[in-house]
Amino acid sequence: MKQLQVNRITAGYHGRRVVHDLSFTLAGGQVLGVLGANGRGKTTLIKAVCGILPHQGQCLLDGTALEGLRPKALARLCGYIPQRSGLAIELSALDVVLMGFNPHLGLLQPPTPAMRRAASAMLETVGLPGRDRDSYLTLSEGQKQLCLLARALVGGAELLLLDEPESALDLRARHRTLHLLREFAAKGDRAVLLSLHDPNLALNFCDALLLVESSRAAGLVYPGKDSDEAITAALSRIYGPVCLRHCTDDNGQPHLVMLKEVDAP
Amino acid sequence: MTPSTTSPTRRPEAVLLSAAALLVAALAVASLLVGKYPLTLDGILHDEMQRQVFLTLRLPRALTGVFGGFALGVCGFVYQTVFRNPLASPDIIGVSSGASAGAAAGILFLSGAAGITLAAFGGALAAVVLALGLSALDRGGQSGTIVLAGIAVHALAQTVLMCLKLTADPERELASIEYWIMGSLNGIKASALPVNLALCALCVAALFALHRQVLLLSAEEGEARMLGVNVTALRLLVLLAATLAVAAVVSLTGLVSFVGLLAPHAARLLCKGSRLPTLALSGLCGAALLCGADILARSVAATELPVSIFTSLLGAPFLVFLLVREGRKV
Repeated sequence: MKQLQVNRITAGYHGRRVVHDLSFTLAGGQVLGVLGANGRGKTTLIKAVCGILPHQGQCLLDGTALEGLRPKALARLCGYIPQRSGLAIELSALDVVLMGFNPHLGLLQPPTPAMRRAASAMLETVGLPGRDRDSYLTLSEGQKQLCLLARALVGGAELLLLDEPESALDLRARHRTLHLLREFAAKGDRAVLLSLHDPNLALNFCDALLLVESSRAAGLVYPGKDSDEAITAALSRIYGPVCLRHCTDDNGQPHLVMLKEVDAP
Repeated sequence: MTPSTTSPTRRPEAVLLSAAALLVAALAVASLLVGKYPLTLDGILHDEMQRQVFLTLRLPRALTGVFGGFALGVCGFVYQTVFRNPLASPDIIGVSSGASAGAAAGILFLSGAAGITLAAFGGALAAVVLALGLSALDRGGQSGTIVLAGIAVHALAQTVLMCLKLTADPERELASIEYWIMGSLNGIKASALPVNLALCALCVAALFALHRQVLLLSAEEGEARMLGVNVTALRLLVLLAATLAVAAVVSLTGLVSFVGLLAPHAARLLCKGSRLPTLALSGLCGAALLCGADILARSVAATELPVSIFTSLLGAPFLVFLLVREGRKV
């Protein structure tokens, strides 16, 4: 069973601690959503876990410390999507997805035809069918995010770290993305850690929520298991007064909805 | 079902590449024949004088035009990709100013064209090693650090060059330094050619082989790392190969402006994408530009003119034409 164990991680920029002494465990097959207000350390946490930011503390994936791994070994275990890609040269969408296979290729080895087929199929899965040859730079922000999602999924890493992968997506694409991530986690017993802004999306798609409040974790809550009172109390610490409602759609599918109440003057 | 090529173009890359290769070949042949002393195929075969001119003057010149231009085009592409900056060129890490300072020292203290070439190469190499060494002091290994180190090295080399110019004899040496800096394919010594071109070919071949990695370097630092790229080491390797190739060319020709900047842009406008065909086309554009400019430099006026005048004169309108045409298509 894949398990990510984050032990007392502290990270920040230029001596300012943004994430402070944070610990949590994420079991394989689970999706963990990180919620928090702007500037509270969601991105910092994700960058620290994948080792882009120097940090104190340790991240263990099945007992292997991620900190000691070389880039290639790390990339094989752990896929990552930044909030925005820095890619600024003209490349086709398929070529961008093929970058996801790099950890599995030798330095001078080109991607195999099987990899090309897999990349093309993945573009279709994330909702960009037939866009293989389109230039990545001419895609909309949302389509770019989908393309990066395909790049992260195609590598087949055991741990996925995603920094607001849905921020530019429309409603349908958001739901499809979260469905895909759940499926990805469940199928391969993989762990998914993602930061997101929409609490309702998080409540309905994530197995666990890490609520980050002024650099410290306000605690883990489990939407399917914890009592409404416990979840409401935890969410209130981030969003102020909120309440939870259970609804059922016309197909009988239950939903958990958070409503924001008026802040006390 | 999968397409064999994945660049976002509908234009056949093979056609573009063949056309560019034909153009370069035609320019190379013209470069062999055109000049103050006209050559004919018959003359080269039977006339001793013509054969000497061909072997010692024209052949080195044409080879430098083609292979030097190719290398400048390929390296320009690599610089622009790795620094994620469409204006990046070898000057960005000080290689050109290093070569100028080296050449000036060669003109002052050494004798003979081969000595100057060697000194220019030494200067360029020193600038590269210094710039990359300084950037390695930053543990984070940001690409911005390399640019800053390059600017520092560039300033240093300019200062050295200025000091050397001050001590130079204004009648002869200063003029030679200025003329060298303007750049010319005139007077390339056949003796210096094999070593420089071999180094050039080696570096360019390495860049072609590492092409996929070069593209990965165009992602942001952390992003590239999470794609399994050892960013710092790979960037050093790629920049070293590109800069060595440029150093080998400019130490032969002096400074040639615009080729490294223009060729990649022209290639990308002609052939969309950034894959191998675009890299090759970038090299061919560089070769055609340098070769064509050199033919003009030696044939339009009674005296030999600096080649940079024509690389800019030919290159700038061509780039504008491509941009305007691209703008109309949308």
